Amino acid sequence: MEKNSRRNFMKTLGASLGVAGIAGGSGLLNSCARVESNTGDKIKLLTSSGELVEVDKAQLKPADMPSLAENQKRGRAGIPGKSWVMVIDLSKCRNARECMKACQNHHQLRPEQHHINVLQMQDAEHTAPYYMPKPCQHCDNPPCTKVCPVNATFKRDDGIVLIDNERCIGCRFCIAACPYSARVFNWFEPRDAEKYAGVTYNIEANVPQKKGTISKCLFSADRLRDGKLPSCVSACPNGVYWFGDRNEDAVTNGTTKETVSFSELIKKNAAYTLMEELGTKPRVYYLPPKDRAFPFQGEIENQHKS
Amino acid sequence: MKLKSLKITAIMIFLSLAVSAQDWIVPDDQKNVANPLPYNLENVKKGKELFLKNCKSCHGDPGKNNVLPLVPPPVDITSEKMQKNTEGEIFYKITHGRGAMPQFGATISDDDRWRIVNYIQNFNPARQPMLVNAPATKAKLLASVNEQEKKVEIFAEYLAADGYIKLPNAEITISAKKNFGNIEIGKVRTGENGRAIFTIPETLIGDEEGYVNIVVALDETFIADVVTLDKAKVGQLKQVQKLIRPGVLWSTNENIQIWLLISYICVTGAAWLTIGYVAFQLFRIKKSSKTESSNIS
Repeated sequence: MEKNSRRNFMKTLGASLGVAGIAGGSGLLNSCARVESNTGDKIKLLTSSGELVEVDKAQLKPADMPSLAENQKRGRAGIPGKSWVMVIDLSKCRNARECMKACQNHHQLRPEQHHINVLQMQDAEHTAPYYMPKPCQHCDNPPCTKVCPVNATFKRDDGIVLIDNERCIGCRFCIAACPYSARVFNWFEPRDAEKYAGVTYNIEANVPQKKGTISKCLFSADRLRDGKLPSCVSACPNGVYWFGDRNEDAVTNGTTKETVSFSELIKKNAAYTLMEELGTKPRVYYLPPKDRAFPFQGEIENQHKS
Repeated sequence: MKLKSLKITAIMIFLSLAVSAQDWIVPDDQKNVANPLPYNLENVKKGKELFLKNCKSCHGDPGKNNVLPLVPPPVDITSEKMQKNTEGEIFYKITHGRGAMPQFGATISDDDRWRIVNYIQNFNPARQPMLVNAPATKAKLLASVNEQEKKVEIFAEYLAADGYIKLPNAEITISAKKNFGNIEIGKVRTGENGRAIFTIPETLIGDEEGYVNIVVALDETFIADVVTLDKAKVGQLKQVQKLIRPGVLWSTNENIQIWLLISYICVTGAAWLTIGYVAFQLFRIKKSSKTESSNIS
């Protein structure tokens, strides 16, 4: 009898201590989240539309950020009803490298890391050289996702191949599997690591980057969710990129904002995909470098002569 | 000392760059090439179209000086610097390009490049302008969708001295809203009564239920609000392919292998059957022990 009551006492004590702990903890958290409410104090804010506004400090509330779990969930599901495709017009590229800069800024990449890279190409000894931007091809039959032992990289319903760096163990099997060399590894501390320390991971932009994990092009999935074109597409000054939804058969040029029929564009210009013989079914289409808008100014080592 | 010489070289390089940016030498034999196309309204109009499509993104709107900040900088086509060029010089520059300016010789035909030259000549003070910049008139646009016949009915009016009257022979552009912009689906001209009927092409794709957001706009010589017809059920249904099924090991449907699927189902089925069998046996043991104990008592 005595034993029994003591056990009960311990039980209630433990439970009440636990409840008190939770209550106290949440109280602490609340006080952190609350912004100082001195009325009269005004601060200037830049809105997303580019206007500078003055707001009373008392009215400020922390913005609703999706939690990591929610972000991961919607990141895996994709944007319903879409099927993203990119068309790259090789005849327009002049190696301005604005796409690479915008991409590295958006995804917090070090200078040597590229989600998109502009390559200098020459197909055979006597053919004309050209510039070729090369992002991830977002294959419909991706070799990379199949080799991942922890299901960190995956294909979404809207066609994008993504990585969850909270799951990635850094084995680099996917780098070996990708025939397009689209993936990069964070060998060192990522760019601006101190600046973004403690920021919640965003799976759709793969930021902040994490040392010891993989990173790759993800068609700026976070921007697509906001209805914006990917960073590289909007940054291009020469009208190289077309981007859109294959389901509605429309692609929009990032520079001129002209919208055309996707099927007509690739049919008229004899578009092709990279290494289609591998059966990877890429989602990035290339228009051949015919009637180039800019002369080729790079230096290409002649690897075709023996 | 060293720093100073470095500075001087830097300034020299900058100056030489600046000089080279200003002068764009055209070979003498190209300077005075005559324009084979006559300077008339038709050519200037076509040239304007080509200019808007190919040149405006950097050279800006004529006369507004809203050029892109590039090096060397693009020049507004109405400026004195541009108009100083002979027709042959402009043609040469359009053809060959320099720096950020594309070589349009590859993408625009000779005649069309001469038409662009003609359009630029429209702003030459020595020439009689073909396109007169009349102040834009105010106009009103009304539109509705006939969902049964898949037609857009349009009525346009413009502001005359004595109120709004019907607007004949005006060009109207019909577009459909897509993810990142509007795609043009056709053009139509208003008749004598200011009305026009546009038949929506069969191939237009809407959303999953076939709804399309249609945008109707007058050409730029009129100031009129763009009419947006939201959720018109005139398009084809958008076909959405399901790429991924949850729980598929190889991540896309097509990669699933039948032998693997069958063996997986068989093995899991067998496992569940075994568990069920064991549970059933346990139940039987319990039951029999109960009956036995009751038998003893």
